[in-house]
Amino acid sequence: MGSLQSARSPRCVHDMVAEQAARTPEATAISHGDRRLSYRQLDADADALARRLRAAGVRGGSVVAVMLDRSIELMVVLTAILKAGGAYLYLDPAEPAEQRARILDDARARFAVTDTGTAPLADGIEHVLSIDEPAEAAAAEPGLLPATEIGPDSPAYVCYTSGSTGVPKGVVVSHRAIFRLIDTPDWIEVRPDDVFLQITRVGFDVSTFEIWTSLVKGCRLALAPSGRADLDEIVKTVHDEGVTILWLTSGLFHKLVTHHLEGLGTVRHLLAGGDVLSPDHVRRLLAAHPHLTFTNGYGPTENTTFTTCWTTRRSSDNERVPIGTPVHGTTAAILDDAMRPVPPGEWGELWVGGDGVATGYLNKPGATAEKFVADIFGPEPGRRMYRTGDIVRELPDGNLDFLCRADRQVKIRGYRVEPSTVETELLKDPRVEEAAALTHTDGAGDTRLIAYAAVSGLAEEEAATFGAGLREKLAAVLPAHLVPWAILVLPEIPLNANGKVDRGALPSAKIPRNVWNEYVEPADDLERRLAEIWSDALDVEPIGSTDNFFELGGHSLMAAELLAALQRDFAVDLPARTLYLRPTIADLAEVLRQSEGPGSPESTQEVEDATSR
Amino acid sequence: MNPFDDPEGTFAVLVNAEEQHSLWPVKLDIPAGWRVVHEGTRQSCLDYIDQNWTDLRPLSARQDPDMASASR
Repeated sequence: MGSLQSARSPRCVHDMVAEQAARTPEATAISHGDRRLSYRQLDADADALARRLRAAGVRGGSVVAVMLDRSIELMVVLTAILKAGGAYLYLDPAEPAEQRARILDDARARFAVTDTGTAPLADGIEHVLSIDEPAEAAAAEPGLLPATEIGPDSPAYVCYTSGSTGVPKGVVVSHRAIFRLIDTPDWIEVRPDDVFLQITRVGFDVSTFEIWTSLVKGCRLALAPSGRADLDEIVKTVHDEGVTILWLTSGLFHKLVTHHLEGLGTVRHLLAGGDVLSPDHVRRLLAAHPHLTFTNGYGPTENTTFTTCWTTRRSSDNERVPIGTPVHGTTAAILDDAMRPVPPGEWGELWVGGDGVATGYLNKPGATAEKFVADIFGPEPGRRMYRTGDIVRELPDGNLDFLCRADRQVKIRGYRVEPSTVETELLKDPRVEEAAALTHTDGAGDTRLIAYAAVSGLAEEEAATFGAGLREKLAAVLPAHLVPWAILVLPEIPLNANGKVDRGALPSAKIPRNVWNEYVEPADDLERRLAEIWSDALDVEPIGSTDNFFELGGHSLMAAELLAALQRDFAVDLPARTLYLRPTIADLAEVLRQSEGPGSPESTQEVEDATSR
Repeated sequence: MNPFDDPEGTFAVLVNAEEQHSLWPVKLDIPAGWRVVHEGTRQSCLDYIDQNWTDLRPLSARQDPDMASASR
């Protein structure tokens, strides 16, 4: 499915911006608070900076690291790097130094653009250009521009993704790939009077859509406040700037719909994605704003921002928000494990082709050749397709339905489980703003599903009750193996710098007790010590004196482990049945108290007697 | 198991006219526009690619010598 025909031949992005500047020189290209930059000024400033970059040695394909906060200057710098023939690599100055160092080490960039404040971050890079310093005399030399050695297949940016393995990989994206995204999109109507919000980090590839669509279509690019803005600030910016085209990463989208639905009055087209979207939130959005167009944008960085889009004015009855159909210039194939297309309606892995396919992973030929492979389905020979690793199916109406990442599928008690199913279900509760489900393997090798739900405005003591209530709701609609063992309710779920759920940063602390009997505090040192041992074995806390070991999630393997721990600690040899007959801390403490004189054969005997009563 | 994931499988290295490389399980047909330049274990193919594909840009975009160093 999908199409590749394009009426226009691919162009370099900066050439398109320059042409727009010639068409509407006085129009505002970028706004940031009270500041405005016209298209004429953008083009002139970017030219001046591009000459400095050329004078410093930037040539076609050079990777240029950029360490600047969101500002008008940052947009000028990005444009200038393209004009100079380079590929920008954005590094967030707010990011941990270690992350930045790992990326710089991997990218081996020889050039960096900073300001006075961020210059120290570029330590060790051969050529560092600070935008606060006056231009060198060489930059005025004619003949430095244009960069004639580059074309549509030259790299335009490098965007790092952590990927499923956690090893950062720099995705190299060409001008051709950006052109396919922004020139003639068939899933959004862009008008010259549109106002885009630049809200995503430039290091997140949705910024490609925000920045370059706006600047090649003659729109105004309104910059969100620098740094990570809070919800109120975003709503205020959307309103004050009159933003008409807005992208929100799913977490932010859910929050905005929950708390500030009225604040989207100026928005004509809202796009969301990046993670699982809640159908209910989409429904609420469209009911409150009947004239608004909504897009669920899906795609890996490796296929340049969007691969498929579902654009609609009406919500869908599908249990998940559809991801739509391949965008212009994109092909998609759903394949089984033998690389054969699956019949319509069946789940398979999504492979994508077309002009959006990235050049590859910077400095990683092997990894590139593993994921970007010969396209067996494309209409032209010699093209490549990218393996997304995502499980999708085709719905009867032709839209694609995204289930999960192939590598997130886990087996629980023999069943194949997609944690995203649980996330979608949790998001149906109107108070849940964000949800994450993941698996937890305990010491005995048992895998359990643990879910996290972000609910704001709950008192701490209400959270556990709310979580138990959610779990009950899920138990009523989901098969048992899909009901999370525990649902942790948090005021907020950690998001990574791109606004996606940071699954690695979720608290892995012990799970709160999820039994219904009242909590009875352990009475003395012995009971407290027992509670500690149980807590470690079960990964649950706190544990009450009258809580039942098996109701807390204990099983026979764990019982054996626990008895071994008791033997070490109290030097008693307890038969396995002790725990089955006396499955609470209070009972067990009683047995141990009766056994006194630890380690003596008699005491063990007493315990045996006690348990057989 | 997908043939691309088979650790025991025999693989080929394919190259197209733009000198882009692709790992390829030999049990699959070779698509039009690609030729085989190496065959062996998965690892030997990846090693071959790491050693021989030194500029990831398509051939038509390699006009500047600086590029090779940037993408190496």
